[in-house]
Amino acid sequence: MLDRLVCALSLASLLLTASSGAALSQGTLRIGMTVADIPLVDGAPDQGTEGAKFAGYTIYDPLVSYDLSSATTAASIRPALAESWQVDPTDDRKWIFTLRRGVTFHDGSPFNADAVLFNLDRALDKNSPVYSASFDRQIRSYLPSLEAWRKLDDHTVELTTTQPDSLFVYQLPRLLIASPAQYQKVGSDWDEFRRSPSGTGAWRFGSMVPRQRLELVPNKSYWDTERVPKLDRLVLLPIPEASARTAALLSGRVDWIETPSPETVQTLEGRGFTVSTSAIPHIWPYHLSHLPDSPFSDVRVRRALNLAIDRDGLVELLHGLAVPAVGTVPPESPWFGQPTFKITYDPERAKALLAEAGYGPGNPLKVTAAISTSGSGQMFPMLMNEFIQENLRDIGVELNLEVFEWEALRSKRRVGAQAPENEGVTLLNASYSTQDPYTGILRYLTAAEIAPKGSNWGSTRDEEIEALVEELRAEFDVAKQDPIVAKIHARHVDQANFIWVVHDGGARALSAKVRGHVHAQSWFVDFSLITVEP
Amino acid sequence: MISYAIQRVLFALPIALGVSLVVFSLVHLAPGDPISAILPNEASEEMVIEARREFGLDRSLIVQYGIWLGKALQGDLGSSIGNGRPVLDEVLSALKHSLILSLAAGLLACLAGVLLGLLSAGLGRSRWQHVVRVVTITGVSVPHYWLAIVLVIVFSVRLGWLPPLGMSPDSSAGWRPDLNHLQFLVLPAIATAAIPAAIIARTMAASIQEILSRDFMITLRAKGLPRSRINVHVLRNAMPTTLAAIGLQIGNMLGGSVLVETVFAWPGAGFLLSNAIFQRDLPLLQGTMLALALIFVLINLLVDLTQSWLDPRIRRA
Amino acid sequence: MSYLHADGGAMIRAGGRHAAWPRFMKQKAAMAALCFIAAICVLAVGADIFAPEDPYRTRVAMQFADIGTTGRLFGGDELGRDILSRLLYGARISLVMAIVPVAVALVIGGALGVVAGYRGGIVNSIIMRCMDVFYAFPSVLLAVAIAGALGPGIANAIIALILMFIPPIARIAESVTTEIRDHDYVVAARLSGAGTLLIVGTQILPNVAGPILVFSASQISVSIITASGLGFLGLGVTPPHAEWGSMLAALRQALYVNPVVAMLPGLMIFSVSVAFNVAADGLVRALGTKQ
Repeated sequence: MLDRLVCALSLASLLLTASSGAALSQGTLRIGMTVADIPLVDGAPDQGTEGAKFAGYTIYDPLVSYDLSSATTAASIRPALAESWQVDPTDDRKWIFTLRRGVTFHDGSPFNADAVLFNLDRALDKNSPVYSASFDRQIRSYLPSLEAWRKLDDHTVELTTTQPDSLFVYQLPRLLIASPAQYQKVGSDWDEFRRSPSGTGAWRFGSMVPRQRLELVPNKSYWDTERVPKLDRLVLLPIPEASARTAALLSGRVDWIETPSPETVQTLEGRGFTVSTSAIPHIWPYHLSHLPDSPFSDVRVRRALNLAIDRDGLVELLHGLAVPAVGTVPPESPWFGQPTFKITYDPERAKALLAEAGYGPGNPLKVTAAISTSGSGQMFPMLMNEFIQENLRDIGVELNLEVFEWEALRSKRRVGAQAPENEGVTLLNASYSTQDPYTGILRYLTAAEIAPKGSNWGSTRDEEIEALVEELRAEFDVAKQDPIVAKIHARHVDQANFIWVVHDGGARALSAKVRGHVHAQSWFVDFSLITVEP
Repeated sequence: MISYAIQRVLFALPIALGVSLVVFSLVHLAPGDPISAILPNEASEEMVIEARREFGLDRSLIVQYGIWLGKALQGDLGSSIGNGRPVLDEVLSALKHSLILSLAAGLLACLAGVLLGLLSAGLGRSRWQHVVRVVTITGVSVPHYWLAIVLVIVFSVRLGWLPPLGMSPDSSAGWRPDLNHLQFLVLPAIATAAIPAAIIARTMAASIQEILSRDFMITLRAKGLPRSRINVHVLRNAMPTTLAAIGLQIGNMLGGSVLVETVFAWPGAGFLLSNAIFQRDLPLLQGTMLALALIFVLINLLVDLTQSWLDPRIRRA
Repeated sequence: MSYLHADGGAMIRAGGRHAAWPRFMKQKAAMAALCFIAAICVLAVGADIFAPEDPYRTRVAMQFADIGTTGRLFGGDELGRDILSRLLYGARISLVMAIVPVAVALVIGGALGVVAGYRGGIVNSIIMRCMDVFYAFPSVLLAVAIAGALGPGIANAIIALILMFIPPIARIAESVTTEIRDHDYVVAARLSGAGTLLIVGTQILPNVAGPILVFSASQISVSIITASGLGFLGLGVTPPHAEWGSMLAALRQALYVNPVVAMLPGLMIFSVSVAFNVAADGLVRALGTKQ
């Protein structure tokens, strides 16, 4: 009886899957995201880079964006809603942005200087009626240098920084512009706005079922005519569990998954799926504590551990979904510089360095690392940390792993190595975006950023770096900035302030039906040129 | 009966209060700062303090409990730290989804359980008894999350018959009991029903056997009552116990399908709970726990009342 | 899920215990199950001797190696470690997490139940109402929520499981104690001036022990399934330690690559769980239901 019921049900559904498959409208792209919930669609997306990728840059545009059209060169900054910008020649704290004309929001209202001010007010001005803490949380930390903003005319705004900061423009891509007119129309209520959001992006909000599905439809009147989406629909599904994503792709429930697990690469490729990777700006390192009681206050120990990791073996284990890292950025980056300390896999030299520092079989080095079970950019933390644990055991170092859930690890990172919460912990495994010099390199190294004030978890202090950072902030000639960053990075590597392990390959797996995908060297994707064959 | 019912309802109130206390304190045992969960990596100390005030986490625990309980009584469970949506909305929609799964699985478990129970008690043909016993013992022993994975591999990935995850197709305007939606229900329902079905079967079989061994049954048999009359008698007496087992299992399914819901990304209360745990979304965690526990109390109450209505002898003091 | 019947272990109360062991031995299935459990225990305790490889030794080339590969007899895991060795070492933690929570809950729950039942009155009310509160949570939900709140780790998972098992055991102990407290022989003992401890020790405990032991035995398989479930969710052991539930979770990806290998941890959980259930059934019959 029961069996028959099940049988009947499965048969019925078999017929159904077959028919519904054929009924799918042409050109629908369904993506399995790694996030557990639909990111906020109000123009200040949560859930990190993935939130910005799917719910941010699709519906909204920033003033300054990334060029995502090439898979072979680093995704550089390019104009978006701001057509051009310059530093006020009389005051290097003032940046003048000329806004693009003729752009309209999805609700039909025009984009102008007031819209820019509205979006800054809603996130940063606590006295403004449109302010909401939710935006503040997502936006403020990306704009650490911004002090003031004002309108010069309908198509020009002026942004003022707290001190001269030549890198200011790098801070702007996460400031997305939402429609003030739409906000008025829905009764000046942000919760209502989230039900019918409006931006200027290439995609309009279609529908949303919380925790299940976000659907976007093309904005046929997009201002950048070359980037008008070709698809009929973009469907985004949150599937946090890796093997569930694999199952979804293999069974045809989705056409594209983010971060397939490395073990499944061969299986996926064997079944005709494409696994795509790119040199995305990312580093998977260990922060090291430089506090006096930490063994890592000795540069020899820091270098020894850098030499003990079999990065090629790890990449092999990850089935090529990562690139070995010998610094925060790869050697071909203009920011890499010429460090004298060459990071290779050399366990013998590592042992020798440890012996010099006083560690050996009689006095083994025992250290504890705080790691997470998962998290944005953390890749496959358990697998990778267990592999490294074994590498270190080969040179006589006992690495003890303290595993935390991602948010717990983030709170450990925020308070710094000196905090009581981090008693005994001298390594912290947290990954970072290296999109620009500040977020990628500077903020982990300067005294002003020592946690809990900033991101310098291990209390790294270096006079040489401090001087170079000063020099960089005052250098407004873009061409002259890169060499200074390169000097800072070279010093960073020579001092072995981190243990660098790999760069993420930003892997995604695509069905053969997906055409026109360009895997930019970025966290982000341009969905406009993609098509899906029936 | 009515006074008994009132007594049971009154009795459930302090339990509900206790439940709220447990839920509240449980969440505050959690290590890690819930606030860092909602702030970007670059958040300053100042922003942390600000956010803590916004969510009322700077007050003393007793005050926090009082405020939370007061609001909860008015149906306000706060807002999710993660996405800012009202917790009550999240919990209610998740509960609706869990209810769909529980009812389907419950139905399946009842049918299979009662059938197997009858067979295993020897009321059917007795040569099945051993086979059924093996089936039920396998049923109660199976790690259901493992079963769920195996089902996905076989029926979704290999055979491509049924969807591997989710609960509704793209562009679904809301859940409806049509085939388009029901196909999503099949695998999760089977995985969820496996253990409860076996438990129901075993409870029923044990109960039937116990009744068969009672003195009055021997008398009835000695009197030469027809077998069918005896069976009706036995079944009627085995009902309350079986019913209690069914009630308890359905209640358990509602909250206990955390693992199955996780494997199938079924957007129910268990899935919501595990997301809340891993995202350290305290208001959501509290709200989900509270709602699930209260519903469980309610189900137990209903089972208790039904049971005593069927068999007044088992009323509790 | 749990076995809680409406009236707990009431139906297995009577029956002599004197001849229990011979009666247990007569049941072939139960004896086989017991032998299987004993064998797993021996292998787990002697994992240092029996494991063919270092359970932590990674070898990239052996990732998801097939069953029968030299040096990876039961295949390799996601880091190319030897699955056989990890299953043996994993048996330690998995068995501990199957038995310890139930054993501790047996002691604590039994004590709470006996105290509540023997004292009666306000003491009974306080203890049993507290139990009712914990009873008001679906059991797996309670374990997941507690383990989730406390964070990953074996100790936390065990605490969560103990809290899950205490209330039902306490309930059974309480109902048995309450029932026999006013029996003639107990009253007589009290009148003859016997101390509370003596009465509890000689009159109450022997009567309470049977039902709660039988109930606890049946809960061991629930414990192992739930414990592995916590490990599966990532709320169990911390790496690099092996535990069947977390091994199952880690090998989930291998289901697409080498399904046979990926099934092994689940199969272990399943077979040990079956063994405990069969043995518990045997115990019920040996102690004798009312026949």
